Amino acid sequence: MLTRSLKIGIVCPYSWDTPGGVQNHIRDLAEFLISAGHDVSVLAPAIDEDNLPPYVVNAGKPIAIPYNGAVARVLFGPVAFSRVRQWISNGEFDLLHLHEPAIPSISLLACWAADGPMVGTFHAAAKRQKIIFAIGPILEPAIEKLSARIAVSEAARLTLTDHLDTDAVVIPNGIYASRYAAGVRQSKWEGNTIGFIGRFEEPRKGLSVLLEALPIIARFVPDIKVFVAGPGDSEEVEKSIDPQLRHRFTFLGKVSEEDKANFLSSVAIYVAPNTGGESFGIILAEALASGAPVVASDIPAFEDLLGHGQYGALFKSEDPMDLAKVIIDLIRDEKKRTDLAAAGRSRGQSFDWKIIAQQIYSVYEMSIVGSSKVKLASDTRSWNRFLSKDEKK
Amino acid sequence: MTFWILITFTLLIALWYLSFMATRLDRLHHRVETSWANLDVLLQKRAAVALEIAHSDIADPASSLLLTGAAYQARDAEIKNRSAAESGLSGALGLLLEDSQHLATAADNALLTELSGLTDRIRVAIALHTDAVTRTQMVRGRFVVKIFRLAGTAPLPVTYEFESDVL
Repeated sequence: MLTRSLKIGIVCPYSWDTPGGVQNHIRDLAEFLISAGHDVSVLAPAIDEDNLPPYVVNAGKPIAIPYNGAVARVLFGPVAFSRVRQWISNGEFDLLHLHEPAIPSISLLACWAADGPMVGTFHAAAKRQKIIFAIGPILEPAIEKLSARIAVSEAARLTLTDHLDTDAVVIPNGIYASRYAAGVRQSKWEGNTIGFIGRFEEPRKGLSVLLEALPIIARFVPDIKVFVAGPGDSEEVEKSIDPQLRHRFTFLGKVSEEDKANFLSSVAIYVAPNTGGESFGIILAEALASGAPVVASDIPAFEDLLGHGQYGALFKSEDPMDLAKVIIDLIRDEKKRTDLAAAGRSRGQSFDWKIIAQQIYSVYEMSIVGSSKVKLASDTRSWNRFLSKDEKK
Repeated sequence: MTFWILITFTLLIALWYLSFMATRLDRLHHRVETSWANLDVLLQKRAAVALEIAHSDIADPASSLLLTGAAYQARDAEIKNRSAAESGLSGALGLLLEDSQHLATAADNALLTELSGLTDRIRVAIALHTDAVTRTQMVRGRFVVKIFRLAGTAPLPVTYEFESDVL
């Protein structure tokens, strides 16, 4: 159990103000650890300095760079480096938890600057990239300083072993499963409905696959309706939809956490047609926990999360025909749908923060054993020790 | 003149690199030691729990005997026999737990949950230790490290051959 109260420093590589899986994960983890009685400080880049929660320390304004098929808002440079060093030396942390330390942002800087117990979590799953092989030898000594490495999924672990030749323990992302399990069914979303949540404008979220599959589904299920939730410009997408099908679509915009739980509990089927670039699929875990029957593309992360079809139905990625077949099959077979939802619900519970945070905490405990607090690496270097001794005289 | 500046410069860089590699190795050795300490503590705990299980109602006399023997062996084993002894204990526990889970009472169930919790943590500890060891072996295999004897007198760590599938 969470016994000793620790001072934990968490570094978030991406801008705190932009929504994203890593940021959400860090926010939930930090809040969970605080509620368990630990002292947590999160260092993160931020655009809007005034709207930060009390436990977040601003590291500076992020820079937008293209990364892994999306725009990543990261932060590096000499000013950021000195802020990171300052945060480390003032913090007197028992442990640092660095997220995505292989990405050029403040996590990597912190890994470089600090010495002591450090845990790294790797979120991204990507195909082999030549660029990483080129900078691998530079990254290696830094990544090596981490006393423990966590990967959020099997896909993320493979990415890590592929690129940096080191292994990691798999601990999935956490969700507040009970919140989703408590979702209330709402009639406006019930019936023969398909739900989709995500930034639908991004091609890798795969909304276009669903668009292509819909005419086929509509032929067999005349009253099918699709609800799309998530931030983005819906007019642009609506124009690209076949006018005969347009009335079947409703764009809900960004929904609140509570609405999300209700939405997921109400829809007949939740669809995740993502075409790739996904490492874990937190939204799938949430959909499972709220008891929605899930249909997802068979990309490695989803296949893993859905236990190869045990907890949710899979279709061939980027194949609208197969997607239509799977959906029609499920809509017509009530029993199959409820069985799938029941299996999924218990699977969703296994991602609850209570369980996940406990696993993360036991990794913390193992990294702390036999080590002192986190210090700046430069303080422990022999020549600096020698120099500072002279100064004291 | 420039020739000598160049020579000094290269020498300085080389010296810095050597010291950098030595620090790196030192850190790796430290990681090997601490991860081993973690694993050791957890394995000791597991042996203790195994003994408790052997004395509880979960185990029939025959498997109790088997388990007690395995637990003592695991506790007293020397470093080089440790892997084999722990694997033996894993096997004995596996045999017993395979078909006894449904007959356990509440008190015994607490023991079983403790064991499964320990097992999960041991799995993590093994992963951390193995990673530290393989990294250290890799860095120590480098030419620079060998030729300048940067590892000093630290013994070359060996991988702990735990058959993780038995657990």
